[in-house]
Amino acid sequence: MLQLHDALALAAGSLRAQGKRSLLISLATTIGVAAVMLLTALGEGARQYVVGEFSALGTNLLVVLPGRNETVGGPPPVMGETPRELRLSDATALLRLPDVQRVVPIMVGSANVSVTSGKEREATILGVSAAMLEVRHLVVATGRFLTTTDTARVDASCVLGPTLAHELYANQAALGTWLRIGDRRCRVVGILDNTGVSLGNDFNDIALLPVAAAQALLNTQGLFRILVETHDSHGIERAANAVRRVIKARHEGEDDVTIITQDSVVATFDRILRTITLAVAAVSGISLLVAGILIMNVMLVAIAQRRSEIGLLKALGATARDIRTLFLLEALLLTVAGAALGTLLGMTGALVLRLVYPSFPAAVPWWGALGALTISLGCGIIFGVGPARRASQLDPVQALSARGP
Amino acid sequence: MRVPDLIKFSIGAVRAHRQRSLLTILGIAVGIATVVLLTALGEGLRQFVMGEFTQFGTNLIAIQPGKASTFGGSVGQISTNRPLSIDDARALSRLSLLDGIVPVIQGNAQVKFGDRKRRTMIFGVSAAMPRTFRMTLASGRFLPNQDYENAQAFAVLGAKLYTELFGRANPLGARIRVGEDSFRVVGVMQSKGQFLGFDLDDTLYVPVSKAAALFNRNGVHEIDVLYRLGLSSAYVSADIKRLLIARHGQEDFSLTAQDKMLEVMGSILTVLTAGVAALGGISLVVGAVGIATIMTIALTERVSEVGLLRALGATRGDILRCFLLEAATLGAIGGGVGVALAIGVVALLRAVAPTIPVQVDWPYATAALLFASVIGIIAGLAPAVRAARLDPIEALRAE
Repeated sequence: MLQLHDALALAAGSLRAQGKRSLLISLATTIGVAAVMLLTALGEGARQYVVGEFSALGTNLLVVLPGRNETVGGPPPVMGETPRELRLSDATALLRLPDVQRVVPIMVGSANVSVTSGKEREATILGVSAAMLEVRHLVVATGRFLTTTDTARVDASCVLGPTLAHELYANQAALGTWLRIGDRRCRVVGILDNTGVSLGNDFNDIALLPVAAAQALLNTQGLFRILVETHDSHGIERAANAVRRVIKARHEGEDDVTIITQDSVVATFDRILRTITLAVAAVSGISLLVAGILIMNVMLVAIAQRRSEIGLLKALGATARDIRTLFLLEALLLTVAGAALGTLLGMTGALVLRLVYPSFPAAVPWWGALGALTISLGCGIIFGVGPARRASQLDPVQALSARGP
Repeated sequence: MRVPDLIKFSIGAVRAHRQRSLLTILGIAVGIATVVLLTALGEGLRQFVMGEFTQFGTNLIAIQPGKASTFGGSVGQISTNRPLSIDDARALSRLSLLDGIVPVIQGNAQVKFGDRKRRTMIFGVSAAMPRTFRMTLASGRFLPNQDYENAQAFAVLGAKLYTELFGRANPLGARIRVGEDSFRVVGVMQSKGQFLGFDLDDTLYVPVSKAAALFNRNGVHEIDVLYRLGLSSAYVSADIKRLLIARHGQEDFSLTAQDKMLEVMGSILTVLTAGVAALGGISLVVGAVGIATIMTIALTERVSEVGLLRALGATRGDILRCFLLEAATLGAIGGGVGVALAIGVVALLRAVAPTIPVQVDWPYATAALLFASVIGIIAGLAPAVRAARLDPIEALRAE
């Protein structure tokens, strides 16, 4: 009976003897493992990035849209035109609910913004209330945010996004100056910090107005959305039901709003990106299968070349089982070496990605690493068993005679 | 060495080690099959998406208030202080290049018939809607061609809304209520199915001026125009632009031509397909490593053979070509098997799951086939060069 460490030494020895061949075949596994790890790291990174972006907006956020479709699973009514609009008074009513901390009525539209120097630009106009600052975690670079808490008051002040401010004023001071938005004049009281493009919302090229001023400017009463922030994320379901009840009561008993929780949006993205990552991992995992086929090929070649060695071992008393263990060990060693190198490469790749793009959390997920290693080792065993069996079944006399069966 | 001899020699070498060659070929075949399958999925997706969009025709231009993004849709659609009006739509009818003009106001409301109710999408449109978007009626007729201001309160039901409100009863002439307004049903649309998640059958079409009153809106969301076949979208766009700038005094609207949008989308999906193909390429690289390994082994086994050939007068070039051809043969056969495998799987997918759009992308498949031979040659290069450099005397002594 062959001792395990003897078998290991023997297997390693024969692999070293065929250095180049062993190296090449480990390389195949290396490529596969590294690819799976890197790609899952990329996918996981993207998922965490997106989820992080959304969570930064707060998970205790409800979005109330006017209109409701009965087709299940379809998109929400984007345009939001309904016979009965969401009114400012609806928003105010929501603030009285016990679970609700802040409420932001939102108007959206586009209008020309012009300054006295004659520069003009079409910009997105966002009518909001003072609570917008906290709800969307906006940062004011200079000046202050809108201060009116009385949403019904038309206040002639506005806050500009950094891109818009730069386009209109270049490097001149913008604070305190008057500009024209559509046919209304308003005073610049603050400029937002450059937040970059967060998902779906670019606060760089916009002008923020008090919601009542935006209603007057756009000549319409209906709100585009109402953002509702609850005290904590536990009460969010209860709050959503309460919001629906209040609006229904105010809309003559008709349930005509869609309520989206931030959680459900995050969950959707999470699911989509997870699926994509899995699919990409599976596709790159096919390369591990190819690597397995190659290992089998090389092992078969090795057995054909080492017939006399096998014959000798058998003549010296090695059992069929010993021979099988020996060749299986050899196949496994090849995969393990490749997998180890691949893991190293994959991890380093992810690390480099993290260093180059610090905001992108590319890290090999545990399931990616586990999957790559399991599949590569599994392939090593599955594709190593066949050749090992064949080697073990050689007849020692015939094998030694070198004439072959 | 003559070329036929060279080929015979290489193929002989491949056939001599049948099992070894088969496994090497299998490795490449799996790689190629992966690439071809993935591109087939990509191409299928591209054709599916393109089909979704071209079902409405390609000679369409959408006019929206405000600045539009690449894929259409602008903030100005939601609300703007410089709206596109129904009068703008009326003015556009003076352009002789246009075949159909559809101002659109879109919203959401409850539709009532008797005691049956359903919340659904409401589209305020014009009589040109079916012609412009290639929609057909199941029964009755579409909204009549009347002046926008004096449009009668007629309505046309989407297929789903019809069954939800009326079941199988005849809806023509029935009165339905939308919000506070009453409409007479004049027609039912043929089922059109889903479009990018929107159920196009759960809809109600009413005259645009009625929708404007219903939703208390002063501008339209967009104006879609159908231009005469054979005209270029750029030419028509310029004409529309001139007219609207004359009316508005400035360019406060944006045009999105359907053919331009399709172009952008097509190129994005093509890039996507290429990216997916690259993913499958990883397996191909691994397969190439297999060829390199097998050729390295073949070289060590055939040192004396190389020596003999050289002694008999074969040049270094001959030896190089011999080994390269052998590697290329392995790659090419692997490629052929791979493409055949992929075509088989595509056919199977079509039969088993017809909803998955798969379409063999022939340029990619051909490229994959060529690429497989090239990969074989590249993988075989190092062993071949080493074989060619062998000293004949040393090589002969190796036995």
